[in-house]
Amino acid sequence: MMRHTMLTGIALMACALSPWGALQAGEVLDRVTSKGVLVMSTDPEYPPQSSLDENNEFVGFDIDVGRQIADRLGVEIEFVTPSWDVITAGRWAGRWDISVGSMTPTAARREVLDFPAIYYYTPASLVVQADNTSIATPADASGKTLGVGVATTYENYLKKDLVIDAEGAPPFEYRIDDANIQTYDTDLLALDDLRLGDGVRLDGAVTALPTAMDAIEQGYPLKIVGDPLFLEPLAVAIDKGDPEFAAKLADIVDAMHEDGTLSELSTKWYGADLTEPATQ
Amino acid sequence: MIGPGTGPHTLQRIWSELFERPWAPWALVFVLCAAALAPFDLSRVTGWLAGGEGLPATVNHWLGVLALSFVLVANVWVITRVRFELQVLITWIELLLLFLLFFYSFQLSYEYIFSRLHFLLGIGLRNGFLMGAALTLFICFAAMIASTILALAAALGRLSPNGLMFGVSTFYTSFFRGTPLLLQILLVYLGLPQIGIVLTPIPSAVIALSLCYGAYSAEIFRAGILAVPHGQREAARALGLRESLIMWLIVLPQALRLIIPPLGNQFIAMLKDSSLVSVLGAWELMYMARTHGRAEFKYMEMLIAAALIYWGMSAVFELVQSRIERKFGKGVTS
Repeated sequence: MMRHTMLTGIALMACALSPWGALQAGEVLDRVTSKGVLVMSTDPEYPPQSSLDENNEFVGFDIDVGRQIADRLGVEIEFVTPSWDVITAGRWAGRWDISVGSMTPTAARREVLDFPAIYYYTPASLVVQADNTSIATPADASGKTLGVGVATTYENYLKKDLVIDAEGAPPFEYRIDDANIQTYDTDLLALDDLRLGDGVRLDGAVTALPTAMDAIEQGYPLKIVGDPLFLEPLAVAIDKGDPEFAAKLADIVDAMHEDGTLSELSTKWYGADLTEPATQ
Repeated sequence: MIGPGTGPHTLQRIWSELFERPWAPWALVFVLCAAALAPFDLSRVTGWLAGGEGLPATVNHWLGVLALSFVLVANVWVITRVRFELQVLITWIELLLLFLLFFYSFQLSYEYIFSRLHFLLGIGLRNGFLMGAALTLFICFAAMIASTILALAAALGRLSPNGLMFGVSTFYTSFFRGTPLLLQILLVYLGLPQIGIVLTPIPSAVIALSLCYGAYSAEIFRAGILAVPHGQREAARALGLRESLIMWLIVLPQALRLIIPPLGNQFIAMLKDSSLVSVLGAWELMYMARTHGRAEFKYMEMLIAAALIYWGMSAVFELVQSRIERKFGKGVTS
């Protein structure tokens, strides 16, 4: 009897283990349509992409884009809030279906995630102190001390090993040589260090143009140097291995590009249309 | 160096003239106090204290330094004159006021704090479940119960003559004491799905906290059990009690008196370590403070509010702990 229950237990465990592994084709799409809910991961610490308003509700550009996608899938949307590392680590185990989180499709991330569609582009810019006179073009920053967020595409750019793995990503060239790179936990900390004074800790920082403009609006004594260094395509991400879901999302985002929905949302949150690589 | 005409005798006289009067130490403290305050920019205090419009800045500064030193010394003098309970009360109130003054100096937006305070406290529900401080407390209570059971089991295993039990118990305590809690939280959340167990953030948080604190508390239980004199067991055995009953009725009740103070300490630590589960996106207090702080660049406001809430909750824990301690310490401590 004892032996019997033990065997049953083992058999049950084996059953529970077997379906786990790679996703089946169409699995996520089936789950979303059958439950009638699209679960989207978001990190509400990044206004204007995603933050919490005074009613404890999600607001932001990414949030609006996610709502639109759910709308067009004909389902409700729900948000979950794992940290960024947990999202980019992949293997979501069905906890959430999609990330609309301004993620750059890099070659490394493509090993664990799929990027069905690019929904907008962010220019990466060099910022310096407002009273700086020695850095007038990005090339002038060669050999200077520059701050960036750790494991960001900006750090890759300065190290000259940036591989953006997306169709239609505009080509770019490395315009800053031999920078002395200082990495920070987030981009905002680099800007905080830069505001201490010209050359106190940093001579400049590389970050997203909207982030820099937001900081300047908040009273940071900074200015943007020259043209953007490169254009970062930002994509919708899903767990690896469901081509049907990917195709569906690609169609939806294409339609949102074409009918002007994305341009409208971009203007609403960023004050500019960032949805076309050519506008820069 | 001793100059001419100042023998040891004269020095001694000067010393007794100056320093062996009752006011002398106070004067010394006053001078030291003034010296310590002098380098600071006291313009905000002096402007408010003296209100001296026509006085030059340096005079104003020194007036402020002297006034502030006098207030400080007089304050300490008053405190030394009253009885113990009053001393404690005054000291607490004063330190608290200084603390509030420190926060006041940040020029925080109180309006912002109050507009979002109820989210931090967790008044109301989010998606039909708790949030903020209420969720923190929920996670802690669940983990407290589970970790206590785990700790008792691990301690008994550690004391067991059975090699299998001893091995399992020591392996468990070694691993969970030897790895960071943050890593354990991520292992439970991200690792378990690999073997088919997909948990949502809150159960993952409770499991990780229970496992980690169970391992620490196991040592506390073990120490408590070992501290009960061996004669107690022998006496119980002589009375013919079974081994399991001896542990349950004789040893554990006596061990609890020693276990409770360090265990309460663990629970207070756990209350604050539960903030680590914010990485999973569980909407506990720390998570709410961070996200609402980022929303409008009001980070300090939300962090200070969260700090005060954590402190308040810990204070309640301390109170409960001292009550329980008194109950179990009956007949032993005064």
